[in-house]
Amino acid sequence: MTTDTTTAPPEPGPGLADRGRQSPIRRAIDLVLSERVPLLAVLLVLVVGWFFLLSNQGYLVAPYDSDYLFSALDSLVPLCLLAFAELVVIVSGRGGIDLSVGSIVSLCGMAFGFMVGLWNWPVLAALVVTVAVGAALGAINGLLVAYLGFPALIATLATFYAFGALALLSHNNAPISTKPIQDVHSLTRTVSLPLGDQVPDVPLQVLTFLLPVAVVVWLVVNRTAYGRKLYAIGTNDIAARFANIPVRRSRFLAYVASGALSGLAAVVIVAQFASARPDSGSVGNGMALPAITIAVLGGVAIVGGVGRVAGVILAGLLVVWLNAGILLAFEGSDGSQFQLFALGALLVLSALLNAYSLRRGRGAG
Amino acid sequence: MAAANPGIATRRRRPVARAVEGQELALIIVLAALWLILSISTDTFLTSSNLSNLLYSVAPIAIIGIGMTAVIVTGGIDVSVGSGAAVVMVVVAKAIRDSGLPLAPALALGLAVGLVLGVINGVLVAYGGIHPIIVTFGTLNLYRFLALRLFENKQVTGVPDTFSVLGGGKSGETLGVPNAWWLALVLAAVMWSYMRYWATGRHWYALGNDAAAARLAGIRVKSRTIAAYALTGLFVGLAGIVLIGSGGLVQQNAGTGLELRVIAAVVIGGTSILGGRGSVLGTLLGALLVGTVTSAITLLGWRSELTELFIGVFILVAVGVDLVRERRRRAR
Amino acid sequence: MTTTHHEGHTARPASDTPVLRLTGVTKRYGGVQALRGVDFELMRGEVHAIVGENGAGKSTLIKIISGAEVADQGEIEIDGHGLASGSTTSALGAGIATVYQEPQLFGELTVAENVFIGRELRNRGIVDRAGQRERVLELLDRIGLHRDLADVRVADMPVAEQQLVSIAKALSQDPRILILDEPSAILTDREIETMFSAVRAMRDSGVAVIYISHRLDELAQITDRVTVLRDGSAVASRPTSELSVRDVAELMVGHAVDAGAVNRTVPDADPVLRVEGLTRVPKFADVSFTLRPGEIVAMYGLIGSGAADVARALFGIDPADEGQVIVGGRPVVLAAPADAVRNGISMLPANRKVQGVFGPKSIAFNISSGHLRLLSKWGLWVDRSRERTIATDFIRRISIKAPGPATAVDNLSGGNQQKVVLARQLVERPRILLLEEPTQGVDVGAKDEIHRIILELADGGGAVLVISSDLPEVQQLADRILVVRGGAITAEFARGSRQADLLAAAAGDDSDTETRSS
Repeated sequence: MTTDTTTAPPEPGPGLADRGRQSPIRRAIDLVLSERVPLLAVLLVLVVGWFFLLSNQGYLVAPYDSDYLFSALDSLVPLCLLAFAELVVIVSGRGGIDLSVGSIVSLCGMAFGFMVGLWNWPVLAALVVTVAVGAALGAINGLLVAYLGFPALIATLATFYAFGALALLSHNNAPISTKPIQDVHSLTRTVSLPLGDQVPDVPLQVLTFLLPVAVVVWLVVNRTAYGRKLYAIGTNDIAARFANIPVRRSRFLAYVASGALSGLAAVVIVAQFASARPDSGSVGNGMALPAITIAVLGGVAIVGGVGRVAGVILAGLLVVWLNAGILLAFEGSDGSQFQLFALGALLVLSALLNAYSLRRGRGAG
Repeated sequence: MAAANPGIATRRRRPVARAVEGQELALIIVLAALWLILSISTDTFLTSSNLSNLLYSVAPIAIIGIGMTAVIVTGGIDVSVGSGAAVVMVVVAKAIRDSGLPLAPALALGLAVGLVLGVINGVLVAYGGIHPIIVTFGTLNLYRFLALRLFENKQVTGVPDTFSVLGGGKSGETLGVPNAWWLALVLAAVMWSYMRYWATGRHWYALGNDAAAARLAGIRVKSRTIAAYALTGLFVGLAGIVLIGSGGLVQQNAGTGLELRVIAAVVIGGTSILGGRGSVLGTLLGALLVGTVTSAITLLGWRSELTELFIGVFILVAVGVDLVRERRRRAR
Repeated sequence: MTTTHHEGHTARPASDTPVLRLTGVTKRYGGVQALRGVDFELMRGEVHAIVGENGAGKSTLIKIISGAEVADQGEIEIDGHGLASGSTTSALGAGIATVYQEPQLFGELTVAENVFIGRELRNRGIVDRAGQRERVLELLDRIGLHRDLADVRVADMPVAEQQLVSIAKALSQDPRILILDEPSAILTDREIETMFSAVRAMRDSGVAVIYISHRLDELAQITDRVTVLRDGSAVASRPTSELSVRDVAELMVGHAVDAGAVNRTVPDADPVLRVEGLTRVPKFADVSFTLRPGEIVAMYGLIGSGAADVARALFGIDPADEGQVIVGGRPVVLAAPADAVRNGISMLPANRKVQGVFGPKSIAFNISSGHLRLLSKWGLWVDRSRERTIATDFIRRISIKAPGPATAVDNLSGGNQQKVVLARQLVERPRILLLEEPTQGVDVGAKDEIHRIILELADGGGAVLVISSDLPEVQQLADRILVVRGGAITAEFARGSRQADLLAAAAGDDSDTETRSS
């Protein structure tokens, strides 16, 4: 907001008609630079192709092949779920953001740990209740932001601290890794698809968690009345009020959805670790940062009202497969360091590109 | 002449530009109450060593917070300060250990590194057309990467006590108060008067109120923006040196999570995250409150995790009170 | 206008060297030619009005003079010296000060700070507060504001005072050229008088003032010369004393004003809307009126009269404190827009960009956004083919100029954007349609079309309440005209009443009568 110093003319910019006169190559470049999904698709092909090449030349410590790529999808699942959470709240506008997703993951993970690991609940019931707990925590954010008028950054910073502390307090800062919790690890096994031997085994969680959630989120934001309301309030919440859209309720629900998605991510993470860890969502820089990064990389505009599910998934794939390649390209912990570099550089570059395409008078998605 | 004029507004209104505003007054009262209660309920709180520890541990948050206040007043934010502090620490720690750099040049080195990192943020925000939170999320990762590369996979051990004068030990105290805290106080005083009396300091507020109008008023928006981030970088450099303190060990995870504590201190101090309003005095008090709570929970033998819970609650209360006040003001 | 004479007029120093001269200034925004070779001369010590319909190029012209925009072609000279276009700093340096329509003030800074922002009186970098204060007190006296305001935070002041502070701010720069962009729009009559005397004092001290206004009745009181812009060209520049309001209006429109051309009769029926004693402190009080099916009632008032607030109350945006609203014979509570919509009330807001459109979204999205319940199956899935049909239908029916329903609204002209917002109000044929400044910022062609749509809706039995400060529009559309002034209905007129009568009723003959304090 400090950079918007131009007094934009009220008249429309160069219109659509101008596009027709350009050469097809120029138009293709333009499309890739201004539309996020084709850009990500191109980048994805380049990254994967590059690492395949390096792998064939023997520069990598292990083969970068389709088996490896599919197994790397493990880390895509929680990342994408949280990026969807950020998609929904950022699209809802008015500085929407959710810094608390990591702490919700920790707290929900512990809740799931208690239910399955200590109280021996059936996994499915515990899963449903965990998602409900996540939604309730999200509702606290939603209440603060949508009804009480807290800036989202502040409200979710506060709940990031509060939920994180509750997660640590819940089980005396100790993980829950009893037998039933360890058994949950089976949710993350790989399965082979009945498509022949060419197709590698797929992590089960991609089929049971990621794909269904992606479809549901896509349907909700693109096909339902609620999705329309979400994009409307994110684009212009005063106009939304005049259009008889329940602005506050719609924004509130975005935070509830973010919480529910974080709750689901918590179950996946507990299953992956075979342990409910009280700090699972806040290790390192926390999980909010990578999730926000992927959402923004996927073309979600921080000002609200713009963002697509396909962009987020492609951005997630790009980051995960890039990270996977980086791990093979470096020895020891160097790889994880270069992952940080890749994430930061991608974020800044994609944001620069967003600003560039906005200046050219077209949206980023 | 004024009285003779049939003016529109004849009602008297109290001027608002007072030195201490509502939020700061409230914080002082809360802090005083806390200190009183803690002095009574524990034997250890009101000891010079405990207070000295408290003030030393708060100093880096306060110092960075002073810069962060300026950034937030302009309507921005800088979440890269923790990673930035790590870069400063590893560079400076290695320099004083491996090249035996003395105090003054080492200090200059730390400040220079911090400044460069801050300027990078500022330039990206001012010229890149990117939202500050995105820019600094990006540089948070990049600076952390840089720091880890410089660490070369091991913590820096055997750091000499070049900076003991700013450290937490006895040699870093004057009149029983850590020099780092004196430094924070001096910086806060300078920044307070700068942001209050200097024209360019007032421009930060104008910028945070309405950047487009500020440009029309002839304020150099881009250079003022860069200045705020650069200054924060400079203070990150200083905070990094305070964190090295009496030397010893610099760990690879240095500075992680620092940004959120700093932002919490600023926000608790009454600075509006939407820009245009705030003061470093509040930030100092906010940092002190965070430090007091941390210290109190240790002394009372409570679970240390409660600290974070309290910080969260304090943020909500501070901002909530501010929201109510704003709403009342607007409803007049 | 020829009859009006003010004492100030004779006192001004005559001068024949233009202090500002524009030659052949052009400006183009994308496909829109905003200015086509404008010539303009401003003399020392004159108040020079620039008038024109919305979109005639007034704002673009003053933006270029004040350096906020770069001219594509043409010369700008100050005292015969060329001025670099597109730099606010060099314009300020040349003595050009601008007061924009919206106060460009910083809410968190005090009045004194606002006045001097960007060019503080400094003493070694430190703001010379005492010196500034002294000058500000002097300015506050000149502009007629209380001295106590010097240290008040601007966010704590009402908008009218803020407007006067902006003028004080401009005055503080000792400008040789002062541009006032519709300074009277949000002021009450008494405040306008205060402002006028400040402007006259400046003129008499040799400042050249450019005065932009929609209120033609003001021109005779305050200006010496009028330049009329039409479609980006200066079509006339003459002494105010030679022009009547009608002359100016005709120059602005380019053809004779044909007011009240429509002749329609309203069928006898029970009122669909009955408002009794509606009050919202401090905006309006004790407002009562009725509206019948097929009837178009206009609330005519200048900006700030309270008419718009009545509409907002009826749509539940800013609900009334007191009073009764009866829709179709049943008393209703209108606490939120949802209540209004449930009772068949629909509203077109005034500020298209802020309150109306979802700019980057498609026409279909914009139209359907108000009707998601109607357009969704089981209240869940949006029926996209129906959505498209409705949008395509409206594009044809009210001739929205766009390639198709998927076109982003930002890519349309102002008039077509307005039609999109209007289409949203028409989808479910409202029983009562509230229109707030329906043709503000819309070109002449689109204006006629929007009026045609409104008349059609009324002919089909809809009841329409138009809130407008556009006199010809009120005259053309309304079967009955309620004049709103100072938050109350002060007069009622039938179709075919004279403009002068309406204007007199709205502006008030007696400027001492307390209007309204916000």
